[in-house]
Amino acid sequence: MKEKAISIHSSRGGTGKTVIATNLAAIFASKGLNIALLDLDFRAPSLATVFSKGIKGPVRYWLNDFLNGQCTVEQALVDMSEGYDLKGKLLLGLANPAIEAIRNIMEKSRAWEVTAVKKLFSLRSTLFSDMGIDCCILDTSPGIQYASINAVISSDISVIVTTLDSLDLKGVENMLVELYDAFAKKTVVLINKVFPETRIWSSERQKNLISQMEKVLKHPVIGVIPCYCDVLQAERTSLLAVDKPFHPFLKNLEEVAEKLERSI
Amino acid sequence: MVKEPKSSAPNTKFLLMKLVDELRLVNQKLDSLIELNRKMLKAQEEMQRVGTELKLEPDAMSLLSLPMSLRKTVMVLYKLEKATAEDLARETKRLRPVESAYANQLVRMGYLSKKREGRDVYFYIESPMEIEK
Repeated sequence: MKEKAISIHSSRGGTGKTVIATNLAAIFASKGLNIALLDLDFRAPSLATVFSKGIKGPVRYWLNDFLNGQCTVEQALVDMSEGYDLKGKLLLGLANPAIEAIRNIMEKSRAWEVTAVKKLFSLRSTLFSDMGIDCCILDTSPGIQYASINAVISSDISVIVTTLDSLDLKGVENMLVELYDAFAKKTVVLINKVFPETRIWSSERQKNLISQMEKVLKHPVIGVIPCYCDVLQAERTSLLAVDKPFHPFLKNLEEVAEKLERSI
Repeated sequence: MVKEPKSSAPNTKFLLMKLVDELRLVNQKLDSLIELNRKMLKAQEEMQRVGTELKLEPDAMSLLSLPMSLRKTVMVLYKLEKATAEDLARETKRLRPVESAYANQLVRMGYLSKKREGRDVYFYIESPMEIEK
């Protein structure tokens, strides 16, 4: 995979988007790819917490500062490669979790959003051309908000993470038509937190579920990941791909990573 | 105002003075008409200037209200910053004249700006941060 940006999106919160994004980044980096993982959920930042154990010292610049033109791309990224003993690079772009920063983002004008999307394009260009990054993963905010649409526009492929909850599915159906088809973006759906019985389902039965969902959503379903209670209950500062590399959740996600690599 | 003399005999001086008074009034009315016309012309020029300088922000939400054909052009300009119709056509894989028509339509709508550099005409999204200043 060379110079590709993947946005991870969902119609509602709580689908496991951030767990997918962080572990996908770690899986790719453990294979030797250079990865940049960016937190574009400016209203509910989470990557600063997930990686809090590995971040050494205070964060000087956030992605917010980059979009505001107050720092360079290099200054806005935190290098996590050493802390997690991965084959490839893992750079983090963090959203500022301070209330003042969140309030500031919420007050931005439409004019600022135009500059923000242009800055995202320049960011990906610097990452790929000057910093040797192979893949950029954008963890977005759920639903249709400026941050998530900007991420979708500036990425090569979007992964929509959903559960089988009817509200989630209805939201995904709407987003696919109103947003993804409107921008003609390559999109795949990942079904997460599926009822635990699917763990012991035959591959034939799993294929049937995927085929049913593809008929409903009219877009490819890239994987089905069963619900694992220990993943849900795990400390949020724990990176599963590093702490429990043989966990079955990761086996599922590795298959998704392979399919993603093939599809882009 | 000139006072009418008591004698009934024609008074040339009186008639001339009355004529001067009338002419003064006509002159005043003409001055006000010229001033009114000047103001109207100025207002018209101002309206034309505002009309041509009206800029709309092509933000992501606004793009959703545009037809797909125009949306595609703006999305390419997010990436390229500035581009000729030929540059745009290369990215969108459409014909250059088609791309030129779409880009000019976006200029007329106020979403894009264009400038000439030598023989080339470049389309670009005006930096909103500069507009805000």
